[in-house]
Amino acid sequence: MARDLMFQHEIKAAVREAYAAISTGGGESVARRLYTHEELSEVPAGCIEWALGVGNPVRYALLQPGETVLDIGSGGGIDTILAARRVGPEGMAVGLDILEEMCERGRSHAAQAGVESWARFLLGEMEDIPLPDESVDVAISNGVLNLSARKSRALAEIFRVLRPGGRICMADLTVEGELPPEVANDQSAWAG
Amino acid sequence: MAERVFAGKLERAGFTGVWVGGHRPFGIEEAAMYPLFTPEVIELMRRTIPPDHQDHVATGVIVKARKPER
Repeated sequence: MARDLMFQHEIKAAVREAYAAISTGGGESVARRLYTHEELSEVPAGCIEWALGVGNPVRYALLQPGETVLDIGSGGGIDTILAARRVGPEGMAVGLDILEEMCERGRSHAAQAGVESWARFLLGEMEDIPLPDESVDVAISNGVLNLSARKSRALAEIFRVLRPGGRICMADLTVEGELPPEVANDQSAWAG
Repeated sequence: MAERVFAGKLERAGFTGVWVGGHRPFGIEEAAMYPLFTPEVIELMRRTIPPDHQDHVATGVIVKARKPER
């Protein structure tokens, strides 16, 4: 049922509730649209089952061995684990998610992928990232910034944790023009 | 959020060299693959969005930018 979302805390709660309620991600139908066969062979099946992104930021991020990568809204960990593969054990991939169950899922998938020594998952919000200033080389995200009711605050936080010269590479959806108001205000549309 | 708004927010946050690419259409059929979109909102979209726009409701993009060196 549609419900107007007028307040930031309502939007945050709606997003958290929507992600906590799902029992699977987009699965192969989503993953195969975004990732190559080779990329999908680098991650456990659970990552594919939990694919919820809208693009492939790792492909564009030009990650280098030894870099520290922050994956904002890491979900089942598909991009965190692909990033960990690219930066190698001399680097670090950090997944950040607002749900502990997603962090647990990411840790389990990282262990299955054999990258758990350099892929960690932190509970936290993109508007208040639990990392020190200038501690990250590259920030990636996949369909996540649009979920924030405080996008400018989230971008300021990403800017804070990036080292000087650090990069951001985000996949997201843009909308030109207006969606019908009943769609734009629906909590499921916002969370999706 | 429109592409120009996204780019503007990045610039206001202090990022430079904003690049937007990798454009791909995102339609209702693709949205329906995601469990986050309930059947009710998919039906609502089918009902309220003009048929000739239903295969391109939004655009998937890649946005890159850099934090300036000190």
